[in-house]
Amino acid sequence: MKAHLVIVVLVVATLPLLAQKPGSDQPSISTQRLKGPPSGPVPRLPDGTVDLSGVWVGGGPINDIEREGGLKPGELDALMLPSAKALMATRDVTMEPHNRCLPMGVPRTTPFPFRIVQTPTHKAATHIFILQEGNIHSYRQVFLDGRKHPPDPDPTWYGHSIGSWEKDTLVIDTVGYNDKFWFDRRGTPHTEQLHTIERWTRLDLGRMENKVTIDDPGAFTKPFTVTFMATLSPPGDELMEYICQENNQYGVHTIPGFNPLTGETQK
Amino acid sequence: MRLLIALVLGCVIVLCGSQSLVAHHSIAGEFDVTKTVTLKGKVTKIEWTNPHARIYIDVAQPNGTVVNWNVELAAVSALARNGWTRNALKIGDTVTVDGLHARSGAPIANARSVVLPDGRKVLSGTADQ
Repeated sequence: MKAHLVIVVLVVATLPLLAQKPGSDQPSISTQRLKGPPSGPVPRLPDGTVDLSGVWVGGGPINDIEREGGLKPGELDALMLPSAKALMATRDVTMEPHNRCLPMGVPRTTPFPFRIVQTPTHKAATHIFILQEGNIHSYRQVFLDGRKHPPDPDPTWYGHSIGSWEKDTLVIDTVGYNDKFWFDRRGTPHTEQLHTIERWTRLDLGRMENKVTIDDPGAFTKPFTVTFMATLSPPGDELMEYICQENNQYGVHTIPGFNPLTGETQK
Repeated sequence: MRLLIALVLGCVIVLCGSQSLVAHHSIAGEFDVTKTVTLKGKVTKIEWTNPHARIYIDVAQPNGTVVNWNVELAAVSALARNGWTRNALKIGDTVTVDGLHARSGAPIANARSVVLPDGRKVLSGTADQ
């Protein structure tokens, strides 16, 4: 009987190792993702706060912020100021900052996952980090310690983010963006006046909604709200190395007249 | 177990059939989506790198010369999440690549499929990652 028990314990203890063994018949991460996100209750920290940690995919626009964000066709164009429309008209996919391994800003996402990490302290978390695998390794830093935005921050790709909880929703308020990133591959623009309010709500174990209000009086006539869904990646998925600069050949020999330093093409 | 195998096989078929490659950028900017090429040759170099893995293959021309093609694959992390490693191919393997030709006309292609002589498709990437 004891021997059986030992065998059972050994087998159970070994299972996680077997599941991760390379070359085993475990389905790949992409295959597991086809089954959809896992279901289950919203996980919580010992103090009752919603636990947002995990490896997530999606939760923002990639190709078209208007369509993917749930707006009606033409709704966003109707809000765009003439200067923003004129800027957008000069853009084509070859000029994407992504192509030159530059970050995607907010609220844009990539096909690659991100991990949310909360700093563990003996009290409440003071920071949340959003670690991005792609399109370049980069991170967002969200201050949860009650500080305010600086009065006149220097513009950056991810801006200055402060977070707070409204019931079970993490609200991230960000200002201080540069105007260099694109909201989507269409080249939907913004200015340094951009102010975003993201409302991240973990609906269950596997899904997290991101409702984003975009307020940019330099590009749009009034604020608008777009909604996205992030899904939890299967167990075993981890962030992977993605050094975009290593072998980025974008446009160098494929597009006649392309300048890889500026992203511009001499016609 | 049988269910698992069936699931894996089903998904492999789905993944290999839809060979759209995940990319950090829009493919249409660099490659002409109306200009497909089929290339057969021996692998001369493998770059297991980001933002794209690449293989280089020697393709014999009708006039007897050989052109070395640069074939762009998905990102390494996308390939890895499909279960591929750098050992999926080795130098000297003969492959047939179906792909899109670079707009410049240079011998560079974005692979839609990479097939071994026995018909096995390798190094597929999917757009939903």
